[in-house]
Amino acid sequence: MEYFTISLLNGTVYGLLLFMVSAGLTLIFGMMGVLNFAHTSFYMLGAYFAYTLQKYISFWPSIILATVLAGGGGIVVERYFLRRVHRYGHAHELLLTFGLSYIIAELIKLFYGNYPTNYRVPESLHFSAFQIFGTDYPVYRLLMGGISLGMFLLVYLLLSRTRVGIVVRSAIYRPRMAEALGHNVPLVFMGVFGVGAALAGLAGAVAGAFYTTNPNMALELGVIVFVVVVVGGLGSLEGAMLASLIIGLSSSFAVGIDLSLVDLFAFFGAGEWAQGLGGLMELKVSSLSATIPFALMLIILLVRPSGLLGEKG
Amino acid sequence: MKHSRFLILAAIVLLFALPAILSHSLVNAVNQMLIAALFACAFNLLCGQAGMLSFGHAAYFGIGAFATLHAMGIMGQESLLPTPLLPLAGACVGFLSGLAAGWFSTKRTGVYFSMITLALAELLHTMAPHLRSLFGGEAGLSGMRYPALGLTFGSDIHVYYLTLVWVLGAIGLQYYITLTPYGRLVLALRENSHRLSFLGYNVHHLGTLTFALSAMLTGIAGGLQAISIEASNYAIFDMHLSSEVVLNTYIGGVNVFLGPILGAAVMTFFGNAASDLTRNWLLYKGIIFVLVMMFMPTGIAGLVMMLTANLRKYSALLLWPVLLLSCIATFLLTMGTVFTVEMMQRILSQDYQMLAQMSDGGEWPPVQLFGRQWLPGSLISWGLPVVLFVAGGYFVKLAKNRWRVLQEASSDQSSETDSIHNLGEMTTESEHELNEREKA
Repeated sequence: MEYFTISLLNGTVYGLLLFMVSAGLTLIFGMMGVLNFAHTSFYMLGAYFAYTLQKYISFWPSIILATVLAGGGGIVVERYFLRRVHRYGHAHELLLTFGLSYIIAELIKLFYGNYPTNYRVPESLHFSAFQIFGTDYPVYRLLMGGISLGMFLLVYLLLSRTRVGIVVRSAIYRPRMAEALGHNVPLVFMGVFGVGAALAGLAGAVAGAFYTTNPNMALELGVIVFVVVVVGGLGSLEGAMLASLIIGLSSSFAVGIDLSLVDLFAFFGAGEWAQGLGGLMELKVSSLSATIPFALMLIILLVRPSGLLGEKG
Repeated sequence: MKHSRFLILAAIVLLFALPAILSHSLVNAVNQMLIAALFACAFNLLCGQAGMLSFGHAAYFGIGAFATLHAMGIMGQESLLPTPLLPLAGACVGFLSGLAAGWFSTKRTGVYFSMITLALAELLHTMAPHLRSLFGGEAGLSGMRYPALGLTFGSDIHVYYLTLVWVLGAIGLQYYITLTPYGRLVLALRENSHRLSFLGYNVHHLGTLTFALSAMLTGIAGGLQAISIEASNYAIFDMHLSSEVVLNTYIGGVNVFLGPILGAAVMTFFGNAASDLTRNWLLYKGIIFVLVMMFMPTGIAGLVMMLTANLRKYSALLLWPVLLLSCIATFLLTMGTVFTVEMMQRILSQDYQMLAQMSDGGEWPPVQLFGRQWLPGSLISWGLPVVLFVAGGYFVKLAKNRWRVLQEASSDQSSETDSIHNLGEMTTESEHELNEREKA
């Protein structure tokens, strides 16, 4: 029971964090058809900006400023880089973001060194929310989850209830038609790219303090965010939320399960035969926790390529 | 055509003569260049010719390497094949795994295809350390080259010739494939797969076969790598390698057969040379890639073709001022960038920051760079890169103006189409082919 509750809590918070990063990515993909490889770079930039700003201003203002700066970075990338290569096609856009992620990671290494920084949760937030099975549960985890949920609500309401949301959704759905109706679609693109980058930056600023802030954090999260976006359905915000939670929970639960295929076969009385086969049979679920998301992604891509909640296929 | 054939022949002769000219470490570097060239070329069969961007080609490279190691005999076991034939193991296993992976991934196109290849590669990457018998766990596997055919394969020279023969053979095979009707169909797959399926071809089978062939050639490259370093571990499956081949291929130019080979050779050489000189070489690599994507979408090969086309169009006398100006501009801008980056790196390094803190608010100590001392507080240290950038920008402007004048002067003379758009040429070629088939 203890294992179950703790895994559930941690998995949910991790999933919510994944959602914060992947929300922007899925919106950007839905709109421009570009898989933005540099997206997690904004997550990393957010963390480093917040870390740097904390030396001068207090925690919350620096988080807000880091978010704005990351968003500004996104706008610059869209306006001065992506738009230039748009005419060469999607492959070039994707590869450009890929090159940019390379440069951002190397610049971070140049400025901050190739080692983790000591970006930490401030003392004022370093207390436990409640006790569970005799261990303290840090309030900061709950805070991260809360910020993510708040963000989901905000973006969701913005997209579904406001006029700006209607324009954005129409630009996603039929960019040419929206343009013909007199909306400035490139501006919308830039705005969404900026907001997406800002969301990733916010996630980085908040999560960087709790997890580690190092020059590899973009790379580590990069692939898993793609998994979320693909599983949830490219372009679907709700899908991203669902997929984030699934992946967060599955990887959180898998770590503690000490079973393998051998045990499954043993249940049917063929344990020794399976043991003899070795290899795949003996792999423990816990050691596969990094593999599960990719297996899930593969299955989704083959069975339902538009994702769990995606519309475009 | 005559010229390029002669050039290629000369290059091959030069490659065979290299061990007599170069030192051992350089021969090793060329060995790496050859392997990277084959990898990029094999990748381009899928990416450039069939139009399917794979993000997980490291998987087949790694599979080829491990298959070859197993065939080589791990830890003193008997070798299954004589050493010169070892890459065959990589080729076979690469082909089979490519067949399986290709079957799944070519069911989808575009981004979904890329995502499936990525998922497959990451699946392998995350599982490999746990599959001890196949991939040797975290430590990896190591083998040993056995003497065969009267050769010991103990020295780098033997390995170099082994690699050279295999690489040339594999690239030659791939070039031959592109000339066959099947090779033309691969191009058609990129241009218009719908039309192809309406013509009665099985697009899925075609894609799978292309994927498998690409994986086979990649497996050979992986095998050659395993032979030359006699070891491998699961890190070979890392995303890093998959991305490197994408970078190399695109920097070289995807639309020309020799482009990726050129790109991989140049970038591997650059990596070898620059990683000795500076710690920031990955940053330079990223900058080069982004610049190529933004300003030279056809890559190095595209640049070369544009140059030859323009040399044919304009007289060399008219063209050389433009070329000279662009070269000066490139040189100045490169110098400016390198200076800024290296200066920043030295100032921001931990050692220097310690020194700076010890100076207690006084002037920071000078930085040693390019054989000279630079004071971080002085005007020259920061004025120099600014001057370089401004001058570089000025030369870019000059070159652009010259170029415009040249084009305007010649535009009324002839309106010959450029052969830069090799892509267009290929399209018309494959369309022509299709039209003929339709008639038949």
